[in-house]
Amino acid sequence: MSHSRRDLLWNIGGGFGGLVAAQMLGAEVLADDAARPRPEWNGGLHHPARVRRVIQLFMTGGASPMDTFDYKPELQRLHGQKLGPKEKPEGFTAPAGAIMKSPFEFRQYGESGRWVSSVFPHMAQEVDQMAFLMAMVSKTNVHGPATYMMNSGFLLPGFPCMGAWISYGLGNLTDNLPTFVVLPDAKGLPYNQRGPFSAGFLPAVHQGTVVNAVAGQPVPDLFAKDKYGFATRAADRDGFALLGRLNAGHASERQDDSRLDARIRSYELAAKMQLSAPEAFDLTAETAATQAAYGLDGPRTQDFGRRCLLARRLVERGTRFVQVWSGPQGATENWDNHGSIPKELPPIAASVDQPATALLRDLKARGLSDDTLLIWTTEFGRTPFAQGGDGRDHNGGSFVTWLAGAGVNAGTSYGRSDDWGYQAVEGKTYCYDFHATVLHLLGIDHKRLVYRQNGIDRRLTDVHGHVVREILS
Amino acid sequence: MMKRFLTVTVLMIQGAFSGVGAQETSVGADDSRFFTQKIAPLLTSQCLPCHSHAAGKMEGGLTLDSRSGWVEGGDRGAAVIPGSPENSLVIQAVQRDDPDFQMPPERPLSEDQIELLVEWVARGAPDPRTTEPAHGRPDPTDWWSLRPLTRPDVPSNGRGAVHDHPIDAFVRQQSDARGLVSVPRADRLTLVRRLYFDLHGLPPTPAEAEAFCSDPDPLAWEKLVDRLLDSERYGERWARHWLDTIHFADSHGCEHDVFRPHAWRFRDYVITSLNRDKPWARFIREQLAADYFYPDESGLTPALGFIAAGPLELSRAGTAPVTFVYLDRDDMVMQTMAAFASTTANCARCHDHKFDPITQQDYYALQAVFAGVGKGDVEFDADPAVAAERRRWRSLRDDAVAGRATVLLASEWDKVVNAWEHTAREQQDVWVSLVPASYLSSDGAVLQKLDDSSLRASGPRPDKDTYTITAPVSLSSLSSLSALRLDVLTDESLPMNGPGRQDNGNLHLTEFEAQLFAAENPEPVRLVFRQATADWNQDGWTISHALDGDAATAWGIFPKVGESHSAVFELQEPLPLPAASHLVVVLKQLHGGGHLIGRLKLYATDSAGAEVEILPQAVQQTLAVARETRTEQQQISLAAYVLKRHAETQLAGLPKPQTVYAASDEYSHGKKLEAPMEPAVVHVLDRGDIDKPGEVAVPGALSALNFRPARFQPGDTDQEAARRAALADWLADPDNPLTWRSVVNRVWSYHFGRGLCETPNDFGRMGGVPSHPELLDWLAVWFRDDAQGSLKQLHRLILTSATWQQASRQRVAQEQPLIQGQPLTQGQRAAVAPESAAMPSGVVGSTQVDPQTVDPQTVDRENRWLWRMNRRRLDAESYRDAVLQICGRLDLTMGGPGVRHFSTTQGRQTTPELDYESYDWSHPDAARRSIYRVVWRGIPDPFMDAMDFPDLGLMPSGRGFSVSALQALTLFNNTFVLHHSQHLATTLESEYATAEEQVGQACRLIFLREPRAAEHVMLVEYMQQHGLAATCRVLFNSNEFLFVD
Repeated sequence: MSHSRRDLLWNIGGGFGGLVAAQMLGAEVLADDAARPRPEWNGGLHHPARVRRVIQLFMTGGASPMDTFDYKPELQRLHGQKLGPKEKPEGFTAPAGAIMKSPFEFRQYGESGRWVSSVFPHMAQEVDQMAFLMAMVSKTNVHGPATYMMNSGFLLPGFPCMGAWISYGLGNLTDNLPTFVVLPDAKGLPYNQRGPFSAGFLPAVHQGTVVNAVAGQPVPDLFAKDKYGFATRAADRDGFALLGRLNAGHASERQDDSRLDARIRSYELAAKMQLSAPEAFDLTAETAATQAAYGLDGPRTQDFGRRCLLARRLVERGTRFVQVWSGPQGATENWDNHGSIPKELPPIAASVDQPATALLRDLKARGLSDDTLLIWTTEFGRTPFAQGGDGRDHNGGSFVTWLAGAGVNAGTSYGRSDDWGYQAVEGKTYCYDFHATVLHLLGIDHKRLVYRQNGIDRRLTDVHGHVVREILS
Repeated sequence: MMKRFLTVTVLMIQGAFSGVGAQETSVGADDSRFFTQKIAPLLTSQCLPCHSHAAGKMEGGLTLDSRSGWVEGGDRGAAVIPGSPENSLVIQAVQRDDPDFQMPPERPLSEDQIELLVEWVARGAPDPRTTEPAHGRPDPTDWWSLRPLTRPDVPSNGRGAVHDHPIDAFVRQQSDARGLVSVPRADRLTLVRRLYFDLHGLPPTPAEAEAFCSDPDPLAWEKLVDRLLDSERYGERWARHWLDTIHFADSHGCEHDVFRPHAWRFRDYVITSLNRDKPWARFIREQLAADYFYPDESGLTPALGFIAAGPLELSRAGTAPVTFVYLDRDDMVMQTMAAFASTTANCARCHDHKFDPITQQDYYALQAVFAGVGKGDVEFDADPAVAAERRRWRSLRDDAVAGRATVLLASEWDKVVNAWEHTAREQQDVWVSLVPASYLSSDGAVLQKLDDSSLRASGPRPDKDTYTITAPVSLSSLSSLSALRLDVLTDESLPMNGPGRQDNGNLHLTEFEAQLFAAENPEPVRLVFRQATADWNQDGWTISHALDGDAATAWGIFPKVGESHSAVFELQEPLPLPAASHLVVVLKQLHGGGHLIGRLKLYATDSAGAEVEILPQAVQQTLAVARETRTEQQQISLAAYVLKRHAETQLAGLPKPQTVYAASDEYSHGKKLEAPMEPAVVHVLDRGDIDKPGEVAVPGALSALNFRPARFQPGDTDQEAARRAALADWLADPDNPLTWRSVVNRVWSYHFGRGLCETPNDFGRMGGVPSHPELLDWLAVWFRDDAQGSLKQLHRLILTSATWQQASRQRVAQEQPLIQGQPLTQGQRAAVAPESAAMPSGVVGSTQVDPQTVDPQTVDRENRWLWRMNRRRLDAESYRDAVLQICGRLDLTMGGPGVRHFSTTQGRQTTPELDYESYDWSHPDAARRSIYRVVWRGIPDPFMDAMDFPDLGLMPSGRGFSVSALQALTLFNNTFVLHHSQHLATTLESEYATAEEQVGQACRLIFLREPRAAEHVMLVEYMQQHGLAATCRVLFNSNEFLFVD
């Protein structure tokens, strides 16, 4: 397997561990391997990196653009008129209803003058820190495939998600924590269950580590369960040492096999992770003011707030990629507001608004935004037509994503949807372009991050993708 | 590898223009020179690195290495419009006006270069290149995997009479040529452990290992191989390889990751087939079309689970159905072609495959093969005799429904019909009239009770209505309740005399519901009905619609208005009648348009079966006529009624059929269809776009291969199964160059950890090239002809080769002193080769070429030339099963529904929540072999996942190998490992008294050897501090246990 050596290097512990392994294996091993992160490029793989870590906030269900960031006065004029498609389009759950204006008031904010609706009073204060992709497009109107698409670039299961590709390409920044952490909504997993965090055909080590933010154990199997009384901390510590000696004896007779050494090293790292992970996940170390800023004291904001705060602590300590999900799968308590935009959107928006804003400010205040990228996105948009009264149906035609932090030209935007917010008309941005842009910031050329699987050179961006330079600084 | 690839690329790009010159005919000499001198170098340096066959890249689907490349264009359309620079995409791209469309992507062309291109297009884009790149070769099938199979000669070893094992002869030829010296045979203990894991996925017990190590029989190895192949553990181990290959799982995957409770029968089919050593061609035919090839062997139906192995996108099936069917079939095409023929056909979905000879027409021809199948539950009879009975009675039922006189009036049925008529005449009236105590219209009609206890509606006629009627039922007249009857009656007050209130006399009964209230029980019992019959059903409005719970369907009686009708509703089970019971009957009439019942009467009975059924009018009329004077039509209607009932009674008496999740002609996930699906019409989609359907695709396979017609004959493919059968025949054809190479390469890869070709699912130009092509071809022909497709013979051949039995260590054994700075001589090598003399075939260590001073680690670090065995880590299943066996609790029960290593709770949508973490490993089912666990596609078992169990959303190309801190933590702390560490410790403590003995036995069980002295001390020391369970945990984490030398 031609990829095995590369895998080994990045798997044992990625960047740092990888270097150790490289020395262990001898320099010639690396000579014929593909590119690797270069310190002189700030850890970039193909060019200098602006970003070293990423936090992605993902709004499950399809956040409505024309009720949040995509102001469409034309909808007020045409409200109630039946102008949509006559036949149910492929992927709609119901035939299109009449044009529906946003029930929320819009105002302009900041020097950039960006229009924001009343559902995001906090985010509105920070629009000058964000760059907006106003014309994102999905190839599908169906949740499952669309969620795959925004994460892996494909409509089908089995492909690696962006976090996995980043882990594969760049390895990690620390041995003490998982490289790619996923923090799902306490109410449940998103569409496709663990599919959106899968490593697909990449080695399993690159998949997202799913952390239940309210559970006692931050990393799965970090420690033995209490009922196994023999597995004390002392037994762990001495056990790792004993195992190291047994494995060293075994390896000494098999010196040609780097995998054996890699496994030895993996237990050393496991021991380190046991020491450092609990501290990273301990939110009580944060000040009351910080906790309040993230909304940990509010019943509506505390779940998302806790996970945003955790995300900051993780990237601060070297986790490469953290994904924070808002909303579980299904059509309730998330952004899939078929039933009623005025009733269903405000509560879910409020659960995210304050914590996301606090995170953005906190990253900046701590200087983390110098090399951290913050992303707010969703899997598709919603129709300008009403569904069953005052809800909106799925629409892959146009939706909004914003980015903030390192490498981002704050206060700018790219792309435009039509006057209804139905279809993107200028600067169409597919997931390929979005992914290419994020990879670009990380110092990766999306066309050169490749893995051959069943005879096909697979990329996160398939055979597409353009870096959206318009929003980069 | 990568470097060499790049070099080749550069050469081939340069070569792309070699056709320019003498052959140019249609292009003027000036234009030709202009192209050759100005344009060609520009294309070569700026465009071809991403747009040529030679570079192996076709960004945007575009190639520019031939005229046809830019004429045909890429995903955006034709790249050049000769004479029209402004409309040519190539020009637009290099001018970079559109921010989304700029080429070359990184560095813009100079103004001069752009001008040259504009000039070229303006001149009419003269392009004198006449040779098609055609994948870099004139004949697209001139590729190792597509060439006809012939049997190469086994290389001679140059030593006259001594015959090598053929595998060793081929391997040695390659390694000798590189001066690589094979490592000697592994020691017996290593071999026996390797063989057990290879064939059974389990370690040998210490006794089994010892038995082989001390077996003096010169044929000990062959005996052991045979014995292991004869064991059913073999099928359990190797079935997993096939299930991986075809991405089989027990749930749909995707958004609605729903359980498939019957999928396991396919898993059992694979295990059984492997254990019975089913010939490969037959294995292909069964899985693609058992129903067509072996109609009398109904027990083979589970084989069709193959087609349904992959994921199912239920969410898309509901809201984007057109996309869904194309993608669902895409999955079947991809799986079939990759699994059996190592071909990535789905690359041709949007355009002809750029590198392999697979046209877009071929791809849609393959889709057309599967155009009549979906994935769903299929019923079958494992017993062919029962299946024959079922077919017989179904056929009679169908004949009865269709009224086929030749069958119905045949003398063989006279007795049945006459006997029925005899009893029918003697039947008494079993119905007791229900006297309504209260009766309500929901929408304002007036219901009135008449003297005969019937109810008549009058007054306003609402659009829709629901009647709720309450009547006492008494024990004096009925012992229990088994059926209800509704008569809709004519009445002069109704339009057309009724029985409906609609102007045309019709009515629509949407739902018939009833509840029983008993005085002592406040909770009513809802009546569950088994079936409904009526004397007359309007076409498409049968009485069964009154029980289907669907508000959109109903019973109707048009055009037979102006006459009374009856309907009977039979209960699932007779219901005991408590004293003072009341029956509430609800008649929902929700169709609208005033389709309401005008007059009705209700009855109840405690009789069941034939006695209560309503005779259709035609039958009643026939019975009224003397037998001798009946018309043929009357005879048919009577026989049809009686024989349909007879057939249904016979069918009900047959053993319940079994169910398997398989290729189904009913899409169980979509609308329930009454009739089997006709094969759908498949169009060739322009660029794979469902909105651009082109010509209709004809079922077929790859047209570039001509061993057999690549388009299946129209007459044969009308029937859905015949299409699949034709593809199976195409695949199983002895002259198919792909199939036989594919299977032997797969088998090789499982024995060696890597195939002779490293991409088992892709033998195309993007895949690997075999390291030993002659060996691969020889094995393919041998397997097809000599072994007649027997996998067990192929295993035996491979396992008895010296190549497979080599040690995995470069230096044979650490204990052997190495002569510093000098390679071992032949004699020394033979000396350090344990037992090489005992090997009957393949004398290892005595090569004909003198060992050269080559360091195999430098020349062939990856062991491509097989100078040693590959060391392998246990896969997830082998690890689990080995731990269970070592603990003495492995349960070898075979087959049956899958074992769940998790509990489920209701999820937010159709997918349940799975809890793996709190599973109780002391549960008896936990000790079954891993092949029997339920594999939930989208919610994998975290433990198996950490051990590289693949994502079965796509077809995995093999088991990966990963190492990480998280994997280490899982192996150290997962409940499975901890539970069994404790379990083993408890057992050892009960059997051995001292720490030394306990630790010693743990080593024997886990490592199959005695602990070394220093090791023993360390282990005992640790044990005394932390206990035996903690010690077992460390041993279960050791590399010695996890790796197979």
